[in-house]
Amino acid sequence: MSNKFTQEPTRSAVDTLYADRWDGVEGAEQASAFIQFMASNDLIYVVLGVSLIIWFVLLFFMIRVDRKVARLEETLKENQSTEEA
Amino acid sequence: MKPWKYIVAVWMTVVIIAGFSIKIPEIAILEQTARNLFLHVPMWFTMMVAFTMAFYYSVRYLNDEEIKWDRKAETATAIGLVFGICGLLTGSLWARFTWGTWWTFAEPRMNLSALAMLIFVAYFILRSAFNDAEKRAKISAVYNIFGITTIPFLLYIIPRQLPSLHPGADGNPAFSDMTAPELRLIFYPAVIGFIGLAVWMMDIVNRYKKVKFISES
Repeated sequence: MSNKFTQEPTRSAVDTLYADRWDGVEGAEQASAFIQFMASNDLIYVVLGVSLIIWFVLLFFMIRVDRKVARLEETLKENQSTEEA
Repeated sequence: MKPWKYIVAVWMTVVIIAGFSIKIPEIAILEQTARNLFLHVPMWFTMMVAFTMAFYYSVRYLNDEEIKWDRKAETATAIGLVFGICGLLTGSLWARFTWGTWWTFAEPRMNLSALAMLIFVAYFILRSAFNDAEKRAKISAVYNIFGITTIPFLLYIIPRQLPSLHPGADGNPAFSDMTAPELRLIFYPAVIGFIGLAVWMMDIVNRYKKVKFISES
């Protein structure tokens, strides 16, 4: 099964520019399983991928800030206990 | 970091993957944008929860006049506003491709929710007008209680009485038998996930404010 999102040997004005690179992939059958999966279902998984990238970066940022605040809380607690001693 | 935060992180990741991956029924006009139900609607649910928390904290502040309740009320309002603005923006984009317009003044829910957001923008302008922390806390608590009371009217009661393209008009609930049942399987977990995320965000901001308060005093 070939679909419109994998490269077929048609030559439009744009892809003749890159023709020598595009000849390498002929159809969905030759593409890796990952590419085949991403190209299925009207490319919805590409949107999923983009969303996951944003989500993971956001999550990474939140965890980082959370840890920074936790460290700040700890130093504050230590300062207070040394003041009391 | 507390374990529930990891649960929220994994939970939301699963919800996002499932939300994109499940097969949804073909619905005319909506098509694949029916998946927006998992994103756009939880924004408003989360906003509602955040404002309810802000309401509670404001009442607590007026009860015991402890400054920590003011901090928490401010944080909850800010997070609620963030989610509300996300709801407005996502709704506008969705409307462009289903109703054919970014914004219409014929749509009561759209305009009244924008009005509701303005009420909470005014809350932060009000806060910035005071130098005295106690005065600021007291007056903004009173304002916030008033402001949150308007939300059910602006977002639920009035729009439901008026004709509108938005689901949940003409006296009908937004979620009815025309909503495909499989959408609910993702929708409710998404609501829980976003509320967890909002609580996590509030937790970080509150702890930051507390550290700031202690180190400044």
